[in-house]
Order: sequence, then structure tokens, then C-alpha cells
Amino acid sequence: MELPRTRDVITQVKGQTFPVGLSTNLTQLGWAGGQGVLWIDSPYDVFTVDFSDGRPAGFLLWGSNELADQYTAYTGNQPLYNFAVLCYGLWLISTSTYERYTYASRTSNGPLVPIVYNPSDRLLFSLRGIYTNEDEWTLSGDPRAPNRFYVGSVMEVPGSNNNNFLSLQTTM
Amino acid sequence: MPFPPPPGTFEIDFHGIDLIRSRDCVIFGKGPAHNVAVDDNLIAGGWPGGQGAQWVASEADEPTVTYSSGLFGGFLIWGSDESADQYTAMTGNQLVYGHAVMMTGRAVISTSSYERYTYESRIGGGPLVPLIYTAQQTLYFSLRGLWTYEDELVLSGSPLQPARLTGVVCQVPKIINEFFLGLQTRL
Repeated sequence: MELPRTRDVITQVKGQTFPVGLSTNLTQLGWAGGQGVLWIDSPYDVFTVDFSDGRPAGFLLWGSNELADQYTAYTGNQPLYNFAVLCYGLWLISTSTYERYTYASRTSNGPLVPIVYNPSDRLLFSLRGIYTNEDEWTLSGDPRAPNRFYVGSVMEVPGSNNNNFLSLQTTM
Repeated sequence: MPFPPPPGTFEIDFHGIDLIRSRDCVIFGKGPAHNVAVDDNLIAGGWPGGQGAQWVASEADEPTVTYSSGLFGGFLIWGSDESADQYTAMTGNQLVYGHAVMMTGRAVISTSSYERYTYESRIGGGPLVPLIYTAQQTLYFSLRGLWTYEDELVLSGSPLQPARLTGVVCQVPKIINEFFLGLQTRL
């Protein structure tokens, strides 16, 4: 049947959720639904997250300013109140929040080279916390390489039949 | 942001609600939990809430656990003799019936059952050296089944090394959280 994809993350099977506080980076810059995050310490007794650098705590279910939230009571709600919904465990989702282009092409001045996803590809978070099948720790020369923190695998590759959303199974 | 917020603004940052930590292990995000039998060692020695446990053979047809020695099956939610259970029907309940509730999978918890000092300093006889926890550190069970970021199977030269990941740090111990360790389990 037709799957309406009206948000950044469409949930097909729900895993676990937990409300978390947000770093200043997240509240100031905003984020897309599906954004990968990691834990950071906070001066308050609040479990707090920031953009992932390749290490996973989970992903944020709703973006900070999604189109579907406009003209509703949800507009800007999360950055204002400094909270978001963290998702972890086993989920089946379809999301528009994934790396479109190779790390090498994004960090050079050459043309952007699309990433080719295949079913069952293992997924990591990129250096900015977005799903990718590339190990950006290795590609960037990060001393923590290789990144073994796999966060999921591809179910359905992006295409015109699914509004170019990436469907995946999370394992974080 | 000052509190109360200036007139004309709705920006309110509550900085969280007051989290009550009246037990050894406080659960914020629940993982799968099930009933397990506890072995004679656990019954004799007792355990705190948040204790790591591993499977052990049993003559009875019951899944049975003992103290983790770096391996895992999960962690025991409630301690065997917590102060919060005194003068209630839970007093000594688990020890008498030889059962406990073990949690597995993904959970978000805050617990006082973690290693405070390095493995080397605990076995060396010298001064105790505090462990410094940081957010997103990977966690293992120590040789006595408490949460730690040290791989004690490696440090002790165990043939079972390396230890398997059991979680990551969400929140470091500090005054404001009564020195509880916040963590996300990956059991």
C-alpha cells in the first residue's frame, strides 16, 4: 500500500523511547528527525544528548522544525522546552535523514558523488550523526577508527518509489 | 535563562524534574525483565540493585544466575536487602524464595552499583585510585559484576578476555545525582 512519508522519520516498528535534554548545539542549530545523538554530561540532573560523532546513544524521533509541525502547537516546541524523544533499541523506520554523498566528495572541492546503498548494508553514524554505510572514522583518519558502533542495516534503498527515503532496521 | 523568565517570553528551562533515587537502581527506560532463580552464592552473599549477573548451571529446570565475573546475562533490578524494602512485604523476599528479577536488552538506568576505584588499586594494596567516568564511555561488568569502564578480564589476564560491552555512560556520578551512575544498557 502507499506509505505516506510526511515526516523525517516514519516509524514502521517501534522500539524504545526516552525523553532527553538537549545540548546548546542542538537547540541552536536544530536537527532533522532521525538525527543520531550521543550522551554528554550536563550540570543538571538531566540525561542530555548532543549530535553524534559516530558514537550512538540513539536517534531523535522528531526534527526540531519539521514541515508537518507548522501551524500546530508543536511548532518549535522541542528547542523551546529543551527536550526531545530519544529512540533506541530495535526499530524499523523510513527516513530522509541519511548521507547522500560520499565523505570524500563532501570534504573535497570536487563533484558530489552519491552513496549507493544496498539492502542489508550495515550502517554507522557519520561524523555529524547521520546514517551512512561509510566508516567516516577511517576515512577521516580518526584515531578511534575503525568504527564498530553499527547502528543498523538497510531494509529498502532510496528510490523514486519511496520518496527517496532510506528504510532501515536499527540495532543501537 | 533567569527564573522566573522575563515578562513576554515563554522560554522556560526546567532543567529536569527532581529525580528520586531511593533505590540502588532507578529505571528510566525499561528493558525486558524476567524472573530468574539465584544460586547459593547470591543467597549467601546478597547483592545490591543493579548487580550484574551471569547464567549458571542448575539442577532445577529454571534459568539460574550468579554474580557476574565479567560475563553477563543481565542485571538484577532490586537488591536483596535495600533500605527502601525495610518494613515492607519485600523485606528479604528474594533471598527467602531464591528468585530475583533480571533485566536484559536496552534500558536507561541510574545506579549506585558501579566500581568506584581502578582494578589495579583495588587489588594492589596501595591507595585507592578513583575511576573517572565520562559520558558515552563504554561499560563492562567487573570481575564481581559491577559496572565499570575498565576491562577487568584483560587487566586480570583472564582467558575469557576481552569483556563484552554491557552499556554506555549517560550521566557521570556527581553531587546533583547523589553520585549515581547513569547508563544505557546493551545486554
